[in-house]
Amino acid sequence: MSPLDYLLVALRVAFGAFVPLCFVAVLVWMERRGAAFFQDRAGPNRCNIFGFRAAGLIQNLSDAVKLVFKEDIVPGHIPHKFYFILAPVLVFVTALISFSVIPFADTLVLGENSYVMQAIPLDIGILWFLACAGFSVYGIILAGWSSHNKYGILGGLRAAAQVISYEIPMGLALVSLLVVYGTVNLNEIARFQGQLLFGMIPAWGVILQPLGVILFIVAAFAETNRTPFDLAEGESEIVAGYHVEYSSMKFALFFMGEYVAMFVSSAIIITLFFGGYQIPWLATETLVAYAKPVALVLLVLLPVANYFFTGWIRRNNTSHYYRPNDPRVREANIYIRCFWILTGIVEIILLGLLLADTAPETIRIFVALLQMATFLLKTVAMCFVYVWVRWTLPRFRYDQLQKLGWQTMLPLSLVNIFVTSAVVVALS
Amino acid sequence: MMSAKIKTIERQGVSYDQRLFLIEVFKGMRVTFGHFFRNLLDNSKLYVRHYPEVKPEITPRWRGRHRLTTHEDGTVKCVACFMCQTNCPSHCISITAGERNDGRSEKLPVRFDIDLLECIYCGYCVEACPMDAIRMDTGIFSVVTADRQSVVMGLDKLLATPGAFTEEDYKKRGL
Ligand code: SF4
Ligand code: SF4
Repeated sequence: MSPLDYLLVALRVAFGAFVPLCFVAVLVWMERRGAAFFQDRAGPNRCNIFGFRAAGLIQNLSDAVKLVFKEDIVPGHIPHKFYFILAPVLVFVTALISFSVIPFADTLVLGENSYVMQAIPLDIGILWFLACAGFSVYGIILAGWSSHNKYGILGGLRAAAQVISYEIPMGLALVSLLVVYGTVNLNEIARFQGQLLFGMIPAWGVILQPLGVILFIVAAFAETNRTPFDLAEGESEIVAGYHVEYSSMKFALFFMGEYVAMFVSSAIIITLFFGGYQIPWLATETLVAYAKPVALVLLVLLPVANYFFTGWIRRNNTSHYYRPNDPRVREANIYIRCFWILTGIVEIILLGLLLADTAPETIRIFVALLQMATFLLKTVAMCFVYVWVRWTLPRFRYDQLQKLGWQTMLPLSLVNIFVTSAVVVALS
Repeated sequence: MMSAKIKTIERQGVSYDQRLFLIEVFKGMRVTFGHFFRNLLDNSKLYVRHYPEVKPEITPRWRGRHRLTTHEDGTVKCVACFMCQTNCPSHCISITAGERNDGRSEKLPVRFDIDLLECIYCGYCVEACPMDAIRMDTGIFSVVTADRQSVVMGLDKLLATPGAFTEEDYKKRGL
């Protein structure tokens, strides 16, 4: 293996491990400020370092500090301490490793070598995801059971009742999807979606499988334990359900595990149904061929977008009451300067790409970076849908969820499989 | 005899499109997104007050921290009748009466303590007082200290705090 191989292995593993972790902070922030804006509140916006509030992101930092330094209690009444400690680890680790099979860019071809852009270059893709995601619920059940607490047990029980009602429709929704794609390899699935239908519509899963996308998204919400299916947690009924006895970093692991799971399941929804890393109408080869025009368009659009964005910052990052020498205005000015500097750097890079005589490798790397950005953008958009749904819908009762799973989603997914198979057979 | 008025309330959530959930879900999501988008574009439209900087408006009806009122010549109006102490549901007022020599009445309080940690701000003491001697019109709604002892308001503190409203406004508060 050449040094380049090692470098790319390290980069890909780092992407697979650190991106979900970093996005925990972004998602928690998005959840809080999003929730506040949905409810016409302001959300956490006071926490600051030297007056810099970073739109509320500093709050996450202080929460992390709090959780790290909190006393870590293992209650004395717990008989199985090992399982009690194992449970949060299980939830967090399974959520994190299920991200490792998701392709975040098309296979990178550098000279003769090609690199699959996944943390673990596995061909079984979606099966790995299903296995890991299915395993994470054991962490929740284990936590509820080993807490030796009636609320904990109820939470674990609900999680168990939940898992039998969504796993089957989820698997069946996937079956019809796999019939369409003909592969379980996520990278090939994403590449399939780079094609065009009738020469104009991107062949995304959401267009090929409109029913499947609804079934899968509903099941994915249940799988990540998010509202409307957060009944294992149910803070208004069973306090906090399965993690009622947990404190400090063990609680933080559950908390982070939930957000990592949300990020990963958004990523998988994107990969399966919304074209993955594909930019619509610009499949990888097209993008490689037209890299320079695309760079030119970006070169022009970026300052325009930044102009509007900084304007938005200036309008909103002020104190909306009388305050002499408003420090928030000064803060906004610094942010705006930072964003212009950032734009300037990107512009210079784009300009270099346009003017210099570029090797095909450079173009490939540029395309891979574009696809990564697209992938992250789409995933964050999907995460926003998670937040949006959470602050719109009330919680299901667990008999209602089972009814939904067995009486509505199961028949629908079976019908979907028959129709899809019939169409696929008729067309081939 | 008047017959009871009957109002039939239409039962929601039984028609087929409502039972399908999805359409209603999207309707609800449209509503919440409207709020989100409006606030995102311009966060001065948020409904909340920027609290410590922007203080809430206090009306004369608001029951804030107590004070004891005085006559024009500065002598205390309270006649130590113990009505407020007797009436207080949380037993947080304790008065010690003394002899009064200024000719206004026979008694006056030499000690008048209100433990604000126990007070539930119900206003019964104000209603019970025959002399209009105790009022809750200071407009103070936040009493914060580092120790329990300084939350107990003594006679001097209760007398020192002025009312936040004019006499006309206080009379018009409609109690
Ligand atoms: S407001 Fe109510 S609780 Fe407080 S001192 Fe007066 S009577 Fe007692
Ligand atoms: S404040 Fe009023 S009710 Fe209380 S002791 Fe004095 S006069 Fe009587």
